[in-house]
Amino acid sequence: MNSVGEDCNDLKREYDACFNKWFTERYLKGDYYRDPCKKIFKKYQTCVKTAMKNKHLDLEEMDKDILGTEFEKKPLPKKKKETDKTES
Amino acid sequence: MKIWTSEHVFEHPWETVVQAAWRKYPNPHNPTVVGLDVIDRHVDKQGRLVSHRLMCTEWGLPMWVQKLVGVDRACYASEHSVVDRKRKTFVLRTNNVTFSNLVAINEQLTYSPHPTDKKSTLLKQEAIITVHGMRLSSYLEQLVVNTCSSKATQGRVAMEWVIGKINTEVKDLAKGVKGIKHNLENIATKAENLESPL
Repeated sequence: MNSVGEDCNDLKREYDACFNKWFTERYLKGDYYRDPCKKIFKKYQTCVKTAMKNKHLDLEEMDKDILGTEFEKKPLPKKKKETDKTES
Repeated sequence: MKIWTSEHVFEHPWETVVQAAWRKYPNPHNPTVVGLDVIDRHVDKQGRLVSHRLMCTEWGLPMWVQKLVGVDRACYASEHSVVDRKRKTFVLRTNNVTFSNLVAINEQLTYSPHPTDKKSTLLKQEAIITVHGMRLSSYLEQLVVNTCSSKATQGRVAMEWVIGKINTEVKDLAKGVKGIKHNLENIATKAENLESPL
């Protein structure tokens, strides 16, 4: 399975493998106090959040209710090129 | 607004089904999911695994519907989930991010042990679909419901496929362990024979 950010694919696969092993061998057996996937998760997260920013995906906006509010039926923002760099 | 509900029983224990749910993608039965990322994940104070994922998908709606909507872009959905290992529940809630000013698709899946057969798992699915501000909104809602229904069927086939993979892995592992045990027993027998020669 690919990441939403193409550059994050390898990090995603490494994290997913770590998580699936931890979930089966530790979490489901009640041993979840240590997280062996913490380091890889942090690297993966940094990559994903950069990719989301580049695709103009806002975490806070994501789960907002739109229908039934003043934002309903407002035109969607114009599609920007994915290669646009964000301002620092 | 349309509401769609469905129930399905997997003839596998809850622990196996939950593992399969995390490993569901990619699979040959759901080619429409093209990207999936974990945005947040942690274990809360009650020991529940809380996750937030971003899914990139092609809805599979007919091209004319996509043109009617008038926007050409990848479709994203936001999924929040909680695994409660003590209560043996896995609840996932998904809502669309793309087109959210036109249509709201809110879906909830709950995996729990079957109430009468503890070796099986019950999946309850519910989707609430609302289309606003477009002509034929009721027709479009029904179309989305029909899409949800066929995708749910694909989803269950996909889950069985993943569960099959997991069970094969477990069998292969057990076979491997048995092989190692057999070899060790042979070595021990040979060692005993060497220690007490005739």
